Amino acid sequence: MSVMRLGYVHARVTDLADAKQHYGETLGLRAVHEEPGKVYFKGWDEYDHHSVVVEEGGVGLVKLGYKVSELTDLELYEKRAQQFGCITERMSAGDNLEVGDGVRVVLPSSHVVELYHEMTTVGTDVGSHNPEVFPRHLVGVGVPRVDHALLTTSDVATTERFFKDVLDFYPTERVATTLDDDAHVIGTWLTAGNTVHDIAFIEGPDNKLHHFAFELGDWNEIGRAGAIFSMDDVSVDVGPTQHGITRGRTIYFFDPSGNRNEVFAGGYVAFPDRPCVTWTVDQIGKGIFYVSRELNERFTSVLT
Amino acid sequence: MASVTVDPDGITVQARDGECILSALNRSGYGYRTGCRRGGCALCKADLVSGEVSYPVVVADSVLPAEEQAGGACLTCRAVPHGDVVIRLRDDRLRCTSSFLAALAGRVTPAVERNI
Ligand code: FES
Ligand SMILES: [Fe+2]
Repeated sequence: MSVMRLGYVHARVTDLADAKQHYGETLGLRAVHEEPGKVYFKGWDEYDHHSVVVEEGGVGLVKLGYKVSELTDLELYEKRAQQFGCITERMSAGDNLEVGDGVRVVLPSSHVVELYHEMTTVGTDVGSHNPEVFPRHLVGVGVPRVDHALLTTSDVATTERFFKDVLDFYPTERVATTLDDDAHVIGTWLTAGNTVHDIAFIEGPDNKLHHFAFELGDWNEIGRAGAIFSMDDVSVDVGPTQHGITRGRTIYFFDPSGNRNEVFAGGYVAFPDRPCVTWTVDQIGKGIFYVSRELNERFTSVLT
Repeated sequence: MASVTVDPDGITVQARDGECILSALNRSGYGYRTGCRRGGCALCKADLVSGEVSYPVVVADSVLPAEEQAGGACLTCRAVPHGDVVIRLRDDRLRCTSSFLAALAGRVTPAVERNI
């Protein structure tokens, strides 16, 4: 009984052809389905039908999908979300392409999260019988999977409480004004399993996207991704550098519509009994960009 | 070619055909506050004082609403000048970020002028 992972990110883009070039040719996701105004993608190591949906018209996030391990989880999480005071809505199989029944929840931050238990399995690109360790003909960066998203909320504490109380997430790291218990929390990094984060929130306007991230293996792969970004004239925000928070190695960059993406490698393994790390606001520069220790203006002001 | 003049300092650079205002300024050695450079965040928004621009790449209405555009706002990372334009930055000033590029673009920076 739990949320297993961030299953899909559904984002808006201003131009579908440009988005297809970016997510398909630069990041190397495979387009698994196209329909007027939408393209569905998956990473090579993902076995469910898709993990990224881009929809033409605007910028920003439409919704995130989190996959739960048991069908009965849906009812439980639905009830808890309602008790928390959130608006929920049942979704039926087929409301989202290749996705089964689910529950749509409007978060305290106004973002839409969909919980679901089934998505059509298509298998990884190396299969599951005596598989090779990676596909031979990866395109571009060749990202294996979607990893996490960072969103903004006007009330970090309440949003964190929602993820803890309703969805059984736990925070791995926080940014707070002081080390006191009653400190004002301005950022929280939460996980449902053992990855260092499945979602994170920082203080800002409600219903905005800061970034969504793709997993990579190590520094070398981050460096190689940076070279591909140069070849493809991708707008790079920051990096390659390392986060103090999560210890992840990273490049922040923008898709052709200005949505921020990240390639992320090497966060530590999280456990619910591991003490939550606290960063004080005065050290936030080091927490976010460990090498330069400086937050640029874009970190807080560039949202879609 | 079209000229791009940036107020309040009145610095003028040349934009190539199809080049957006931000690229023309960057190529000429000038920088100012920008974000995504891809039309998504509105950080590069400025006021179009005179002239005409077009948007060959679609810009989200939430970033540059039609009313704002009608009121003279432009998104400099996506706006392509049609003929000479004058823009005014919002709460920001143009900075020379590369004397090499400025020299290449045919502008003499104050630093070079003073022979530093
Ligand atoms: S820099 Fe983001 S919209 Fe121009
Ligand atoms: Fe991230």
